[in-house]
Amino acid sequence: MSLNSVILKNFFKNLKNYTLYIFALVFSVALYFSFVLMSQDDGVAEELTSSELMSTGFIVGSVLLIVIIATFVMFANSIFLKRRNRELALFQLIGMTREKIFRMLIVENAVIYFGSLIIGIALGFLVYRMLLMVLLRLMQIDLSVGMTFSIEAVIQTALLFIFIFALLLAQNYIFLKKTSLIKMLKLEQSSEASYRGMGAVTVLFGTLGLVMIISGYWLSASMMNFTNALIFLMFGVLFLTIAGTYITFKFSVAFLLNMLRKSKNGHVNVNDVLSLTSIMFKMKSNAFLLTLISVVSAISMGLMSLSYISYYSVEDTIEASVPNDYTFYEEEDMEYYSDLLNENDIEHETVNIPTVSYDVEGDAIAIDAEAPGGFDTALALSMVSEEHVDGFEVEGDEIIITGVPYFLDSYIEFKLNETITLISDDYERDVELVSMGENAILSSFVTYGSPQAIVSNEVYEELEENHNYDEEMNQPREGFAIDITGEDSESIYQLMNEDNYSQFESKINQYNMQMQGTGLVMFIVGFVGFAFLLTSGCILYFKQIGESEDEKGSYNILRKLGFTENEILKGLTIKMVVTFGIPLLIGLLHTYFAVNAGGFLFGNEIWTPMLTVMGVYITLYSIFALISLMYYKKVVKRSI
Amino acid sequence: MILEAKGIKKSYGKRVNRTEVLKGIDLSIEQGEFVSIMGASGSGKTTLLNVLSSIDRVTSGHIFIEGQDITALKDKKLAEFRKNDLGFMFQEYNLLNTLTVKENILLPLSIRSMKKAEVEKQFKVVAEELEIYDLKGKYPSEISGGQQQRTSAARAYIHQPKIIFADEPTGALDSKAASNLLRKLQQLNDKSNSTIMMVTHDATAASYSGRVIFLKDGLIYSTLRKGDRSQEEYYKEIMNTQSVLGGVGVES
Ligand SMILES: Nc1ncnc2c1ncn2[C@@H]1O[C@H](COP(=O)(O)OP(=O)(O)OP(=O)(O)O)[C@@H](O)[C@H]1O
Ligand SMILES: [Mg+2]
Repeated sequence: MSLNSVILKNFFKNLKNYTLYIFALVFSVALYFSFVLMSQDDGVAEELTSSELMSTGFIVGSVLLIVIIATFVMFANSIFLKRRNRELALFQLIGMTREKIFRMLIVENAVIYFGSLIIGIALGFLVYRMLLMVLLRLMQIDLSVGMTFSIEAVIQTALLFIFIFALLLAQNYIFLKKTSLIKMLKLEQSSEASYRGMGAVTVLFGTLGLVMIISGYWLSASMMNFTNALIFLMFGVLFLTIAGTYITFKFSVAFLLNMLRKSKNGHVNVNDVLSLTSIMFKMKSNAFLLTLISVVSAISMGLMSLSYISYYSVEDTIEASVPNDYTFYEEEDMEYYSDLLNENDIEHETVNIPTVSYDVEGDAIAIDAEAPGGFDTALALSMVSEEHVDGFEVEGDEIIITGVPYFLDSYIEFKLNETITLISDDYERDVELVSMGENAILSSFVTYGSPQAIVSNEVYEELEENHNYDEEMNQPREGFAIDITGEDSESIYQLMNEDNYSQFESKINQYNMQMQGTGLVMFIVGFVGFAFLLTSGCILYFKQIGESEDEKGSYNILRKLGFTENEILKGLTIKMVVTFGIPLLIGLLHTYFAVNAGGFLFGNEIWTPMLTVMGVYITLYSIFALISLMYYKKVVKRSI
Repeated sequence: MILEAKGIKKSYGKRVNRTEVLKGIDLSIEQGEFVSIMGASGSGKTTLLNVLSSIDRVTSGHIFIEGQDITALKDKKLAEFRKNDLGFMFQEYNLLNTLTVKENILLPLSIRSMKKAEVEKQFKVVAEELEIYDLKGKYPSEISGGQQQRTSAARAYIHQPKIIFADEPTGALDSKAASNLLRKLQQLNDKSNSTIMMVTHDATAASYSGRVIFLKDGLIYSTLRKGDRSQEEYYKEIMNTQSVLGGVGVES
C-alpha cells in the first residue's frame, strides 16, 4: 500500500470527524452569502426612502459578520487539528516529513473547503429569500420577494472565503511548526489545573474580578448622576465589566472551584468527577474563550435589545408625540390642504388649538436635580383649553398634564392631587393636578418639546389674558392640523406631498420612515447577533465534543468500576449547566445593566423587548446544552 | 468458595464471523486465594476476567459469587455489585486524568456513607503501604507508570472488596517495579486475606500467586499450585508449562 493510498483511506475514515467542520463551513458561507445577496437586492433599495442608511447598515453588518465567521472557522479548525493530533503524529513517526503532512492537509482542506463553499452558496440562496421576507415584514414594506442571483455576490463571498482559507493554511502551518512530536502524542493528557499554589495573589485577583464587575454595574446604574463625564464613565463601565469578566473566569471561578475542591480534600463523588474536576482540568484555555463568549453575547444581546426597544417603541413614541395626522406651520397651509382634500372627496377635520406657555412649579412636580440633562431652567407647560380637545374632563381649578416626552420621565415625577403654580412674570395662578394623560395633543414644534396641560375654559381665558406676551417666543401660538376621518393612508400622503404647496408634517410618513429605519437596524443587528449566538453555541458544543472524546477513557473506567450510565450522565448534566450557564448568566447580567442604563434613550418600552431577546438567548443556549448532553449520552453509552 | 464458574462460553460477533473465544470453562476460587491466569496473547484471558467480573456478559454458563448467580442479574444490579464488592486494575487506562492520585484512590468510597476521618485513615494505611502517600496531590500525567499502577492497586483495595480483578497490572513495568508491585499485592493478600485474580503474561509475576491457570484456545489447559514449593521452583515449573504451551511467554 503506497503512502498516498494510506492518506486517501485515512481521509475517508475520518470523514465523520469532518462533519463538524463541514457543518461550520457550510453554515458560515450560507450566512455570509445570504447577507451579501440581501444587501444587493435592488427591490429593497428602491422601496426604501433612505437607501444610504441601508448600504451603511449592511456594510457595518458584513464587517462584523466577517470577523465572527473568520474567528469561528479558525476555531473549528483548531479543534479539528487537536482531534487529529495523534494521527498527524503517527504520520510523522512513520517518517513523513512535515512538509508532506502540510501538503496533505492542504489537499484535504481544499477539497472540503471548496465543496462546502458551493453547498453553502446554494443554501445561502435559499435562506436569503426567507430572510428577505422577514426584513420586508419588519420594515412594513409590501413587496413580493423576487429571486435575484447575483454573480457579484458569489464572487464577493468566494473572495472572502479564499482569504479565510489562506488564514487556515497559516494556522495549520504554525500548528505543525510549533508542536513537537512528543507534544503531539501527549497533548490531551496534560492538566491545566495548575492552581495548586493557591497563593494570596489568586485570592486577591479572585476577589478583584468580582468587585470589578459589581462596581461596573453600580456605575452603570448611577451613571446618569454624573452627566459631565458621561463618555468617560461609559468607557470606565466597559473596561470594568470586560476586564472583570476575564479576571472572574481566570481567577474567581477557578478560585471558587478550587476552594470547593479543596474543601472536599480528595473525597470527591462521581458528580464532582464529571463536572468540577473536568471543568478545572481545562480551565486555563476555557477562561479566555468563556470571557469572549460572555462579553460578546452581552454586547449582542444588549444591541439587539436596544434596537428592538426602539423598533418596538416607534408606534408608542409617535402616538405620544404626534397628535394629528397632518400638522402645518401656518393656518393658510392648513386651509389650502383642506381644500385639496375636499376636492378629492377625502373626509377630514381641521384642528385648531391655541396655546400659551407657562412656567410651572409646586408640590406636584418633583424634579430630580441630580439627574442628567442639566435641568436648571424651570419646567414649562403648554396650556390648552378643554374646549379645544376631546377626551379630557376638567372643572374649576383642575389641571391635567399630558404628552410628557419619555426622556423627561426619568427625572421628573408628577404627583397627583397636589398644587401646581403657573407663573408668567409676576402673575401666578394655583391649580390642582388631578390626572395624567398619555398622548400629546400638540405637535412638538408648537410646544418646543414641553408637556401639555389642559385646563378649563375659564382658567384658560384668565391665563391668556395675564400672559406676558413675549415677542421672541411668539406667544400665544396655535397648532394647525388636519385629522383624516377614518384611517389615514399612504396614498393620501402621496397626494398631499406631490402637490408641493408648502411643507408639513405627516404622521404616517414619520411612522413609515421610523419603521424602516429601526426595522433595518434591528434586522441587521439581529442577523449579526443571531449569527454570533449560533457560532458561539456551536463553539461551546464543539468544545464539548472534543472533551467527551478526551474523557471517553474516564467513562470507561467509571462504568467498569460500577458507576451506571445514569450516574455519569447526572454528573455531565451538572457540567453542561455550568459550562453553558455561567457565560449565559454573566451575559444576561451584563445585558440587563447595559439596557437599564441606556434603554430609556431608545424608547419607553424596555421590558418586553429585553425579555424577548433574553428569552431567545436562553432558549437557544439550552438547546445547545441539550444537544451536547445528548452527544455525551451517546459517548457514555458506547464507552464500555 | 467465593467464586464459582460453570460452563462459561463466550463468543463475539454475529453469525457469519462469529468467533468463540471461551469454549466452556469451569473454575472455582476459595476465599483468600491469589490466582493467576496465563496464556498466549489472544487466548481469551481478558475476556475471561471481564465475564467473571461482570463487566461483560457470558454467552452461556453461570457464575456464582458467594453463592449468588450474577449471570442472572440486571445491568443496574451488576453495576451496584461491582461498585460495592469488586476491585479492579486494568490493562490500560487505569486512572482518571482529571483527578489527583488521592481523588482517584478514594473514588470507590464516594458511594459509601463513611466518616471522613475514617476514610482518611484508611487512605493513609493503603497509600503508605503502597508507598504513594507523598504523591497524593499529583495528577496521573505527573507520575511514573509504576506509580500509576500502585495507585490503581490502592484504588482496588481501598473499599476492601470481596475479590480484586487485575489485568496485567505489571504489563507496562520493568522487572524491578513489577516485582515491587507484586510483593505489595502479595502482602496485602496475606494481611487482609483478600481474594485476587490476576491475568499475566509474565512467569515471574505468576510465581507470586498461589495458583496458575493456563488457558489455551478458550479452554483451561492446566493448573499449577505453588503448594509448599519455593518461589524459584514454582517459577521454573510455570516456565516449563508455558514452553509446552508454545513459548508464548518469551515471545511476547
Ligand atoms: N469486543 C470484541 N469483539 C470481537 N472479538 C473480540 C472482542 N474482544 C476480544 N475479541 C477476540 O477475542 C479473543 C481473546 O481476546 P482477549 O482480549 O481476551 O485476549 P487476551 O488473552 O487478553 O490477550 P492479551 O494477552 O493480548 O491481552 C481475541 O482473538 C480477540 O480478537
Ligand atoms: Mg488482555
